[in-house]
This record gives sequence, C-alpha cells and structure tokens, in this order.
Amino acid sequence: MNSPFLTRIARFFILLFLQVFVFNHIHLFGYATPLAIGYMVVCMQRETSRTSILLWGFITGLVYDLFSNTPGMASASCTLAAMVQPMLLNIFKPHDAAENFTPSITILGFSSYTLYAFMLLFIMHAAFYLLDACTLINWPLTLLAMISGAALSTAIAVGIELLVRTGRRTELHP
Amino acid sequence: MRALIDIIVKNKHWFLFLALEVISLFFLFSHNGYQKNVYFTTANGVVGSTYDVISSITAYLYLGEENAALERKNEQLRRELYELKQAQEIAKSKQTKRMPALARKYDVVQAQVVNMTLHKANNLITINKGEADGIRPEMGVVCSRGVVGIVYLTSKHYSIVIPLINTDSKVSCRLRHSEYFGSLIWKRGYADRALVTNIPCHAPVKNKDIVETNGFSDIFPPGLPIGTIQSINNSIDGMSYLIKVKLFANFATLRDVSVITNYTSPERHQLEEEALYTTTQDSTQNQQ
Repeated sequence: MNSPFLTRIARFFILLFLQVFVFNHIHLFGYATPLAIGYMVVCMQRETSRTSILLWGFITGLVYDLFSNTPGMASASCTLAAMVQPMLLNIFKPHDAAENFTPSITILGFSSYTLYAFMLLFIMHAAFYLLDACTLINWPLTLLAMISGAALSTAIAVGIELLVRTGRRTELHP
Repeated sequence: MRALIDIIVKNKHWFLFLALEVISLFFLFSHNGYQKNVYFTTANGVVGSTYDVISSITAYLYLGEENAALERKNEQLRRELYELKQAQEIAKSKQTKRMPALARKYDVVQAQVVNMTLHKANNLITINKGEADGIRPEMGVVCSRGVVGIVYLTSKHYSIVIPLINTDSKVSCRLRHSEYFGSLIWKRGYADRALVTNIPCHAPVKNKDIVETNGFSDIFPPGLPIGTIQSINNSIDGMSYLIKVKLFANFATLRDVSVITNYTSPERHQLEEEALYTTTQDSTQNQQ
C-alpha cells in the first residue's frame, strides 16, 4: 500500500467500522460519544490541496451520518474541521520540517501533536454537539459532551499514532 | 471581470466549504424528522442485521436464553394477573351485564433490542421482529420492568420503536394512588427520567407514588407500570403540576422486550371513527 490514496481509503474503512460498532457505544456521562472518525482529518498531509481535504472531510462525515442516523450533523462538523485543519497545522509546524509531511508524533512531538489533535477534534465535537442540541438550554451538558468527547477522541488518535509508530519501528528493525 | 474570476479561483476552497456546509445543513434540517427518516432506515437495515449477528453471539455471554425464558414467564404471569383483575371487575359490577366476549385480552410477541441510541433528542430502538411476526406501527412495547415505548416503523423482520426517552414521545398515564391522569413526556438529557404534565393542581400527589398507563389509548392496557414520582413542581402556567418521574425501564441495559400485538379493538376503532365522521358532518351542516 504505497499510494497515499489507498492508505487513506483503508484508514477510512477501518475507522468507520470501529466508529460504528465500537465507539458509538461509548456514552461518557450517559451522553458524550467520541467521534474517532475525525482522525481522518487530523492526519491529512500538509501539501494536500484544500479542496481535497474538504471533500474528504465531507464524505467521511456523510458516510458516518448514513450509518448512525445523524443526517448532516457529522458531515457539517467534519467539513468545518477540514477547513480549519491546514491553518492549525501551520501553527504547529516545526521549523525544520519538510514542506510536505503527515502530522504524526514523530514529526510534531508528543505534546504538540496532542494539542493539535485536541484543538481540531474539539472544534469538530463542538460543531457536532451544537448542531445536535440546536439550543443552549442544557449548555453544561453540551459543553461536558464537547470536552469529554474531544478528549477521548484525542486519546484514540494518540493511541493509533503510537500503535502505528511501534509497527513502523518493528518493520525497520525486526 | 477578470479580477473577480481571479478572486473566485484563488478562494475556491472557501466557496466549496460554504457549498458543502449548505448541503450538510440541508440534510440536517430536512431529514431530522421521523417522517423523513425512512431513507436512513436502509442503512439501518444493514447495521441492524450485523447487530443481529453480534447480538446472537453476545446473547450467549449474557445468558440470553435464560433471560428470554424469564421474560416469557413474566409476561404470562402479567397477562394472567390482568385477566383475573378484569374478571374481578366484571364480578364486582353485577348491575351491568356485560357479554363475556367484551373482556379484552391481549397477546404479546417477544423481541430483542438490536440497536438503540440514548444520547440524542430523537432516540430510537431497533428490535428484531417485524411485520412477518404480526407487528404493526402504533403497538405498545413493554419490558419486564415497565413500559418501553411505541412501535413507529416496521419492515419485514425489524421494527423501529420510539422509546419513552424521545422528545416526540407522549404517553397518557395516571397516578396509581389518586387515579388522576396526565401525559408523560421527555426532555432531552437524562435517559432514566421523564416528566408528567397536565395533572391539575388540586390533585393529591404523593412522592414515590407509581405512575402507570391509564388505558385510554388503544396502545397499552391499563395499569402497566411506568415509573415512580421523584419530585413535584408547579408548571410554568401554575395551573398544573410538573412531576419528575424515575422510569422503571432501564434503557441502558434493555435487551428483551414484548410487543403487545392484538390489544387494538377494531370495534372500538370503528365506533370512534363513526362518531368523528358524524360530528364533522353535523358541524358542516350547521355552518351551512
């Protein structure tokens, strides 16, 4: 799987499967569900065109919506995250990094990567839960859902990163 | 003109972003009603049958068989109790001679929950029985602890249930102690609490009293438990109580449910429809 496109497709299906059958059943405080599908947007390469990032974000959200009965909610929030991703990545870009890199712990460092992923996923969760609630009447619960959902999704993203990194290392030094 | 085109080309991602958001919001606001949910039940069908496989594996882990047997036994006892109560009532009122055929019985179909949501405003439950098992929309769904909800959509082998914890759910109920009746609604938030409205302020309401179905609707027989009263407040207009109820059904661990299938009485339905027809005709004649 050398082509980045194929890697992305494979990543998409694995994430979708995990999201629909595992993460959708996590209800923190009886309410907050992590949208790990946002990892698709988190690990978009820096040189990817903005149009392509937007389309990937939108389609990811749309397919997730189809499988979890949340029409429009995830597609709107994933598109928003895809719009913000290049700007956020610019802030966290290390000085010595190549022009084209995939955001990962190896390149950004653990703390920067975690902060970057959390900020991006928080924007996505905020949009999702605001659209879900449509009002601010029960705002403490909505805010709690945003923060805890984003934190859990970040933990999942970091977990996947660490897993992939150990995988790569053993590949290099078996 | 060229400058305008240049601006559009340069900022094309902004226009794409806006277009995609508009499409998403269109989906959000046009498909979020139940009526338009049918489109999404296709995807639900795929997920539903996969859940069926998963749930048949986990049923073994959770001793599903034993649960189902207990549920059947419970249901049988509940039905016997109900029939006995009705016989008792008939025996009590000896002045009115009722034909025995009018005593109402009901049958149930056992089903299992294969999918459900707890954290949305419009929570739905998918169960693994459908039209092929005699289930139709507007039938009541109960579990061993109490009322669960009402069937909304059916396909051949699956049905979608609107549970009590859905903002669109409204079930008529009464207080067991005083027999005053009201309606049970749900506000987004906790999955184990609901509200009873329309109980007049002069009604005696006690904490811990049981809320049960009142049998006015054609969906649930009277006396099925719904929950216990947790706190009592006045409604905004001050004319009635707003009562917080702790639901008996535990939606987070719900698995085995029963659908009440033939409680609906065609005779009653026909009579009510005829009455409605006659009164509307009368009023149009009066207007003329």
